[in-house]
Amino acid sequence: MSSNKSHILHDISLTILILTASTCLGGLFRMLDFHETNVVVVFIFSVLLISRVTRGYAYGICASVISLLLFNWFFTKPYYTLKVNDMTYFITFAIMTFTSIMTSTLTTKEKQAAAEAHEREYESNALYQMTNHLSDAEDASAIAEITVRTSSDVLNCNTACICFDENGTPEKSFIQHKSDGTIIRRELTNPEELKRRMEIINDSSETIGNECCYPIYGKSMILAVLRVPLDTCSTMSPSQARMLHSIIESAALAFERLRSLQAQAKSREEATQERYRSNLLRAISHDIRTPLSGILGTSEMLMDKLKQEDSNYILARDIYQDAEWLHNLVENILNLTKLRDGKLVLDKQPEAIEEVIGAALMVMEKRFPDRVFDVDIPDEVIVVPMDARLITQVIVNLLDNASKHTPADKQILISVIRDEEKVSISVADRGTGISEKDLPNIFQMFYTTRSKGADTRNGVGLGLAICQSIAEAHEGSIQAQNRSGGGAVFTFTLPLRKDKK
Amino acid sequence: MISQNETILIVEDDSQIHNFIAYILKQEGFSYFIAKSGQIAMTTLISQKIDLMILDMGLPDLDGMEIIKKVRSWSEMPIIVVSARDQDKDKVSALDAGADDYLTKPFSAAELMARIRVMIRHLNKTAKPPIQPIISVGDLSIDFEKRQVFLNGEALHVTPLEYNLLGLFFRNIGKVLTTQFILKEIYGIGYGTDTQALRALMAGLRRKIEPVPAKPRYILTEIGVGYRLVDE
Repeated sequence: MSSNKSHILHDISLTILILTASTCLGGLFRMLDFHETNVVVVFIFSVLLISRVTRGYAYGICASVISLLLFNWFFTKPYYTLKVNDMTYFITFAIMTFTSIMTSTLTTKEKQAAAEAHEREYESNALYQMTNHLSDAEDASAIAEITVRTSSDVLNCNTACICFDENGTPEKSFIQHKSDGTIIRRELTNPEELKRRMEIINDSSETIGNECCYPIYGKSMILAVLRVPLDTCSTMSPSQARMLHSIIESAALAFERLRSLQAQAKSREEATQERYRSNLLRAISHDIRTPLSGILGTSEMLMDKLKQEDSNYILARDIYQDAEWLHNLVENILNLTKLRDGKLVLDKQPEAIEEVIGAALMVMEKRFPDRVFDVDIPDEVIVVPMDARLITQVIVNLLDNASKHTPADKQILISVIRDEEKVSISVADRGTGISEKDLPNIFQMFYTTRSKGADTRNGVGLGLAICQSIAEAHEGSIQAQNRSGGGAVFTFTLPLRKDKK
Repeated sequence: MISQNETILIVEDDSQIHNFIAYILKQEGFSYFIAKSGQIAMTTLISQKIDLMILDMGLPDLDGMEIIKKVRSWSEMPIIVVSARDQDKDKVSALDAGADDYLTKPFSAAELMARIRVMIRHLNKTAKPPIQPIISVGDLSIDFEKRQVFLNGEALHVTPLEYNLLGLFFRNIGKVLTTQFILKEIYGIGYGTDTQALRALMAGLRRKIEPVPAKPRYILTEIGVGYRLVDE
């Protein structure tokens, strides 16, 4: 503010000085009996001079008017009055005023243009320097440092930059410019507050405490925040504001470039890991399944050879059952990994619901030869796009679960209901039901109900998780409920429409 | 021990599995050869009289598909494919290339034996030239001369498409027919891959011949592969 006032004072005194000097020179000309034209030229020159050395149009225009009055007062007859005897002077006055005003405007304009050009050069130079440095920056704090240096320089204050991580959370420490030109790292006092305020921001900046915070946005999220002291913000000139905007934009680009480089490196690393992982899975699937086939076959063979009363028969049966359990586990883990990774490509074909249920029942017949499953399917043929193998697996898992929790003499019913958009397939049993505690977690991976003894081998807690993954991969859903009158019912739905693919 | 005339070739690189298969075959009185690689299998196939082949798809040297194609160029011997791959596509392409049946590891001895028996019976039947005019499976029979289907001795009304479909199954009892094969046979070449019509046709047929369509007795669904008419 004070610098502005002194500027005005300076300009006014200069104007007065020049006008006085011109008047004196005019007086000298009158004494020497020079023609008045010379005085007019002196005044026009003085206006030009004033426009050149002062800021803005006001001084030049004022000077034109004042010089006209001065000329009238001192140099036209009658002297020392504003009266004019010779009417031709009016033409002189008009031309003089017009000329001086034009001169002053032109000069001021030219001056402003020069000043602007200079400013632009300075801006572009500063930005060029910044971009240059940014392209060498190797991490976020280097970018923050360059941003802070450039903005502090341009705004002539001490700015700070707070980097945000990939999750949009501010980092614990930030870069601060100090008055002696050094850069330090400081602890961020209230990151939560900053994060919250930056999330709701809808203007270009947000005031927090004594600081004005300018968010630096990437394509999709906030990358950093540039903090500028509040009083600098309020006195910023348009060109400084423009500069600040450019700095923020350059910083945003640099941060974004860094992010994409990091993302590339990460995805390369992930691809490598994925390759290792799928190799491992392939190895597991082959190296575990093949010997398991052997164990299963050999133990079955032994069972075949032995009589059921033989104690060795029980040993062979135990080997067979354990191997089968292990085989199921391996299959489940493999399926689930593929499903959860989204690596499993669904082979969707129009399939009749009754056929998949039939296939599932065939599997169950082998596992539980004595169990009877009731089926309730509408008479119409329901053809649904699905990956039949996976849906069979869902039904098998649900039926298997029901069989394990339901006494042999109680009913297990599989039923199908079709409506406009979807088909619902439910497996209802009259078993032990699901305890309230287990109900919310029942589809979680590796979740097993505690209601049974620790020794039960029945679940590793993968079956239902697989069901859920498969249902969701089909854009369907799965639910578990207890039935009134005892038992549980699992219902999964499949959309009827063909997907867009 | 019943002595069988047929000679079976086991093509399998995993010693546990071929030992196990060999043991079952010996128990059942079959004679057999073991080939641990595709090359050995090809040599054995040329030098010996083989009636049936059990072929593992994951061989170290040759692709199982190639063996099937080569064998099919000179022989109609039944081929049972054994595969550790749970990819249906491999099974389907093996069946389409001419394999008669498939088993997925791990399989039980009973399962393998059942498949082998069906194939052998099939072998003996087709050896007797003219196909019998009436073939029965359970309570279901078909009269190829009169173009009629009987269930429990009573004539059953079926549409021409349903008759053709049933006829196709009766000519291939016990054999897995892939969806593509059935589509080609029933609707003709160039019909494409739209399985929806076949699913509906099958559902209609099942409603006529099966007491509970969701628990079929006669035509079983091989999910992701095709269908099979049970052999008794």
